[in-house]
Amino acid sequence: MTAPGMQPTPPSRPARGGGVYVHVPFCASICSYCHFARTDHHDAELRRRTVEATLAELDLRRDQSSVLRAGLRPVDTLYIGGGTPSILEAELFRDLLDGLRGRLNLADDAEVTAEANPESFDEDTAITWSQAGVNRVSLGVQSLRDGTLDLLGRAADAATTRAALERACAHFDRVSADWILAPGVTPEALAAEFAEARALGVGHISFYILEWHPGTALTRAAAEGRIAPDPDERVEAVYLAALSALNALGYEQYEVSNACLPGQESRHNSAYWRRRPYLGLGPGAHGFWGRRRHANHAATDRYLAAIDAGRLPEASWELLDGAAGRLEAAILALRTCEGVDLDRLAVSEEALAAGCAEELWVLDRHRLRLTTRGFLRIDAIESWLSSHVIVPERCARVDTSGEGRLPCRDSKQHHPNGTTRA
Amino acid sequence: MDQYRNFCIIAHIDHGKSTLADRLLELTGTVIGKDRKAQVLDSMDLEQERGITIKSHPIRMEYAAQDGRTYTLNLIDTPGHVDFHYEVSRSLAACEGAILVVDAAQGIQAQTINNLYLAVEHNLTILPVINKIDLPAADPDAVTDQIVDLIGCDASEVIRVSAKTGEGVDALLEAIVAQVPPPAGDVKAQAQALIFDSIFDPYVGAVAYVRMMQGTIAKGQRIRLIQQQRDHEVGEIGWFRLSRVPRKELSAGEVGYIATGAKDVRHIRVGDTVTLVDDPCLEAMSGYSEAKPMVFSGFYPTDNDDYDNLKDALQKLQLNDAALTFEPEKSAALGFGFRCGFLGLLHLEIIQERLEREYDLNLIATLPNVEYEVVDKDGKILLVENPALMPPSQEITDVREPFVRLSVISPKEFIGAIIQITLERRGTQRKMEYIDTERVNIEFDLPLSELVVDYYDKLKSVTRGYASMDYEYTEHRAGNLIKLDIMINGEPVDALAFIVHRDKAHHWGMEICRKLKELIPRQMFQVAIQAAIGNRVIARTNVKAFRKNVTAKCYGGDISRKRKLLEKQKAGKRRMKQVGSVEIPQEAFMAVLKVER
Ligand SMILES: Nc1nc2c(ncn2[C@@H]2O[C@H](COP(=O)(O)OP(=O)(O)O)[C@@H](O)[C@H]2O)c(=O)[nH]1
Ligand SMILES: C[S@@+](CC[C@H](N)C(=O)[O-])C[C@H]1O[C@@H](n2cnc3c(N)ncnc32)[C@H](O)[C@@H]1O
Ligand code: SF4
Repeated sequence: MTAPGMQPTPPSRPARGGGVYVHVPFCASICSYCHFARTDHHDAELRRRTVEATLAELDLRRDQSSVLRAGLRPVDTLYIGGGTPSILEAELFRDLLDGLRGRLNLADDAEVTAEANPESFDEDTAITWSQAGVNRVSLGVQSLRDGTLDLLGRAADAATTRAALERACAHFDRVSADWILAPGVTPEALAAEFAEARALGVGHISFYILEWHPGTALTRAAAEGRIAPDPDERVEAVYLAALSALNALGYEQYEVSNACLPGQESRHNSAYWRRRPYLGLGPGAHGFWGRRRHANHAATDRYLAAIDAGRLPEASWELLDGAAGRLEAAILALRTCEGVDLDRLAVSEEALAAGCAEELWVLDRHRLRLTTRGFLRIDAIESWLSSHVIVPERCARVDTSGEGRLPCRDSKQHHPNGTTRA
Repeated sequence: MDQYRNFCIIAHIDHGKSTLADRLLELTGTVIGKDRKAQVLDSMDLEQERGITIKSHPIRMEYAAQDGRTYTLNLIDTPGHVDFHYEVSRSLAACEGAILVVDAAQGIQAQTINNLYLAVEHNLTILPVINKIDLPAADPDAVTDQIVDLIGCDASEVIRVSAKTGEGVDALLEAIVAQVPPPAGDVKAQAQALIFDSIFDPYVGAVAYVRMMQGTIAKGQRIRLIQQQRDHEVGEIGWFRLSRVPRKELSAGEVGYIATGAKDVRHIRVGDTVTLVDDPCLEAMSGYSEAKPMVFSGFYPTDNDDYDNLKDALQKLQLNDAALTFEPEKSAALGFGFRCGFLGLLHLEIIQERLEREYDLNLIATLPNVEYEVVDKDGKILLVENPALMPPSQEITDVREPFVRLSVISPKEFIGAIIQITLERRGTQRKMEYIDTERVNIEFDLPLSELVVDYYDKLKSVTRGYASMDYEYTEHRAGNLIKLDIMINGEPVDALAFIVHRDKAHHWGMEICRKLKELIPRQMFQVAIQAAIGNRVIARTNVKAFRKNVTAKCYGGDISRKRKLLEKQKAGKRRMKQVGSVEIPQEAFMAVLKVER
C-alpha cells in the first residue's frame, strides 16, 4: 500500500491537448437512483461487439478530422467510464485500451482513468488494468454502510466495497472514490467513512447529493411514500458536514462535488469544466470537439446499427455559437473553485454586493467564486447568472438609433479572455 | 341631394356588422370578387384578429333601386367597442339612419341597447334588422318580439337577413332608400362639415373624414377647424370607394375626406367642425369633446435600452390615435417609462399588443388605474394618474374617483351572481328590467377603478359568457380611499402601489402579499414582501431562498441539456424586471388582478 498522496505520478497539470471519454454501458444490476446510459442485459458477445464498435467509431471520427488523423492534438486524458468498465473481461479490456492507443496520439504522461464497481473489481482486474496502462481508478463506493447501499440498490455490500477500495489503493497511486449523500446518511457516519478512505490512501473524493431522477426505482419509492427524501435543511447540513470532514482530513474542495489531496485533481474532469475539447465514444457518450457537441445513441442496439452501417452513431449534435459558448463557459466555471471571470458577466454592482452580503460568493482577483452556501444554491445562481453572461450577440447589436449610443452595454467585451485588470 | 342616403350599422360585437357591410358592397357592385377579401372595412390586422373595428372607414356605394333611380349610399362604419363611445357618437352624428343589427340566435345584447339609445339621441331613423337567420339556432320570432319591445316598431318593419347567404339584403337596400331620410342642409349656406374620424397618412398627413352638413368645400380653399382654432389648406378632397377618390369639391349631404397636410391627427380632432376661412359659418356642431383618457398604465421597457424605441413607437401610434396620451415617467423600480392614458381597457390592450408585436418591444405594464381627483388642505384639486404619486393621507382632505354607469344584460338565472360580484366591487344597483321573459338589463353605478381591474373577466366567468356589458363615465365621487404601498425587502416598489377603499385595505394587503409570494420565483436571497399604509405595515410574507439542488458533475459532459434549460429560462425571463437585487416577473405587477374578494 502506498502512502496517501505521496507519489504524484503522473504530475498534475492542466490539460493542454484533448480528452477522450469512452462509455461502457454494461452493469451487473441497475441501482435504484441511476438514470445513466446503462443496461444489465448483455453477454460476452454483446460486450465484444460494443467494444469493437467503439473502436470503429473512433476510426469514423478520425476519418472526419484531419487534426485527429494527424495526431495534431495530443490526448492528455483518457477516461473509461460507465456503466461498469470493470465488468469487461481482461482480454476485452486490453483490446479496448490497445485499440485506443493505436489510434490516438496518447501523451506519455496522459492521465488514464477507469471506473470500477466494487463487485467486479477483483485482483485480476486490478492487475490487468495496471498492465494495460490505467494509472487512476475511480471506484463507485457510494457508501460504506449496508443500509445505505441497500437503499441505493447497489450490487456490492459494505464488505465487498471496502475490499475493492483497499485493492484499488494497493494497486494504484491515484484512486478516486464516489460517494452519494443519500437519505438517512448522518454527518458522523459520513465523516467516519471518509476517514477510512483517507487511511487507505484515497486521494480524490467525489460527493454527490442524491439527485432524484424521474423513472428511477428510488423516485418511484418516494412517490409511493415508501421512503422519505430528506428535507432541504438536512441535505444542506449533510453537505456542509461532508465538506468539513473532508477538510479536516486534508482534502481540498476544487469543484462543487469534488475534493482531493494536493495534486490529485482529476485532470480529465477539470478539462470538462474548462471547456477543453474531448472525444466521446461508445453508447450514450457525449463529446465536444471543435465547436461541436454531440450525444451518441444511448440504446446499444441503435448505436451498433449505426456503426454497422458505417454512420456516426449520433443521436444529436449541435454547432455552438459564441453566445452558447459563453454561457457554457460561465456555468461550468461557476462549478469550480476558480470561479468565473467577472469580465464575462454583466452584473450590477448592486447584485454583486448583495451576493457577497448573503455570503453566496466572494469576489476575489476579479473572479466571482461561490462559497459553500453558494454551492448549495448553484442551480438558482446559474439560472440567474445565465441572463447576465455577456454574449457576443448582445455586443453585435447594431445601433440603429443614430444617436451613437454604445452598441454594447459593457465595454468589457473587448477583453474576452478576461485578463485581470486589478 | 335627395338621392343621398347616409347611414351606419350598429350592432353588438359579432352580430354581423362587418359581414353585412361586405354584402352591401357586393350587391351594389362597389367591390367585386376578390377585392372584397374578407371584411373590407376592417383594415388593421389586430382588429381583424379580435373582430373589432376601431377605425371606421366610410364607403360610398351607388345603388340602382327598384324605382329606377340610382342612389348614393354612404355607409359609415362605427367602432364596435365600449371604449370608443365618443367616436361612435360622432359617426352617428354624420348619419340620418342606422341599421340596427341583432343576431337571430343571440338576441339583444348590451351594446345593441346602448348603441340604439345613442342613435335615438341623434334622431336617426332606425332600421331594425335580424341577421343570421340561416343559423339553425336562429329564433327570429322571439328576437322580433324583443326588438318590438325595445324600439316600439311594428313587427312587420323588422327586416330578416342572412349576411352570410345574402338572403334579405336586397330588401334591406330598398328599405334604406325608402326609409332613411335624405340629408337636409343648404348647398349655398356657409360651409360646415363634421369631422367624424381622422387618420394619419404618411404621404398626405392627417386626413379628416367629414360629413358636409351644409355648403361646399373645394380643393385649394383655406379651411378652419373651429374648436382647434387652426387653419389649413385643402390639399386633397374627395370621397371613398375602397380607397380615397380625389374630387374637386364636397357639398352638403356628402361624406368624404379632406387632406390637410397637418402633421398629427391631434390637430384634426374628431367632433370638430370644418368651415371656410373666407366665409365661415358661425356655429360649430354641438357635441364636441376631446376624447379623454380614462384608464392609465405605466409602460416600461424590460430592457432600459429600449426607452427611446418605446418613445418612437408611442409617437407613431399617436399619429393615428388622438385618444392615446403618454407622459415620461420615472419609477424607482422600473426605470424610465411612460404613463399612458387610454379610453378604456381594450384600448390599452390593443396599444400594448401593437407595441409588442409591431415594434418588437418587451414591456412591463403596471396595473391599469384611473384618474383620481385629490383635494388638498387648501382645497386645491390635484389630478393623480399614478397611485405612487398619491400624496400622504395627512396632506389631503378628499379623494374622488371616476364612476361609471354600467349596464349588464344577461339571462335571468345569473342575476344573483352578477349583483354579488358588482356589489363586492363597490357597485350600487340602480335598476333592473326584463327585456323579455328570459333576460334582464341591470344597471349599476360602479367605480371605474373596480371595473378596470377585473370586472369583465369576472362577469364572463360567473355568467359563462352569456352576459354582455357596456358602461359610460358619469362623474367623480368622493370615497374613503387610501394608498397601499408594497415593499420588497423593505423598499416600497412604486410600480406596485395601488389605491383601495379603506375598509378593504387590510384584506387586500394580505391577499396581495400572498399572490406576490406565489408569483415571485424563489431567488438566491430571501425576499421579504410587505404591504403598508403610510408607515404602518399591515401584512407581510417571505419568499424563501433556493436551497439544495447541489448537482452532481456534468457527467460524460452532458452540458447541452443544462445549457438549453438555462437558455429557456432566460427566454422566460425577458419579462422579468430587476428591482434592486430581486427579479420580479411581469405577472407580479398585475397581482392585484388575481386577488379574490
Ligand atoms: N351563419 C351566419 N353567420 C354570420 C352571418 N353574419 C355574420 N356571421 C358570422 O358571425 C361572425 C361575426 O360577424 P362579423 O361580421 O365579424 O361581426 P361584427 O363584429 O358585428 O362585425 C363571423 O364569424 C361571421 O362569419 C350570417 O348571416 N349567418
Ligand atoms: C456515471 S456514475 C457511474 C459509476 C459506476 N457505475 C458506479 O455506479 O459506481 C458516476 C457517479 O455518479 C454518481 N451518481 C449517479 N447517479 C446519481 C444520482 N442520481 N444522484 C447523485 N449522484 C449520482 C454516483 O456517485 C456514481 O458513482
Ligand atoms: S453501477 Fe453505476 S452506472 Fe450502473 S446502474 Fe449503478 S450507478 Fe448506474
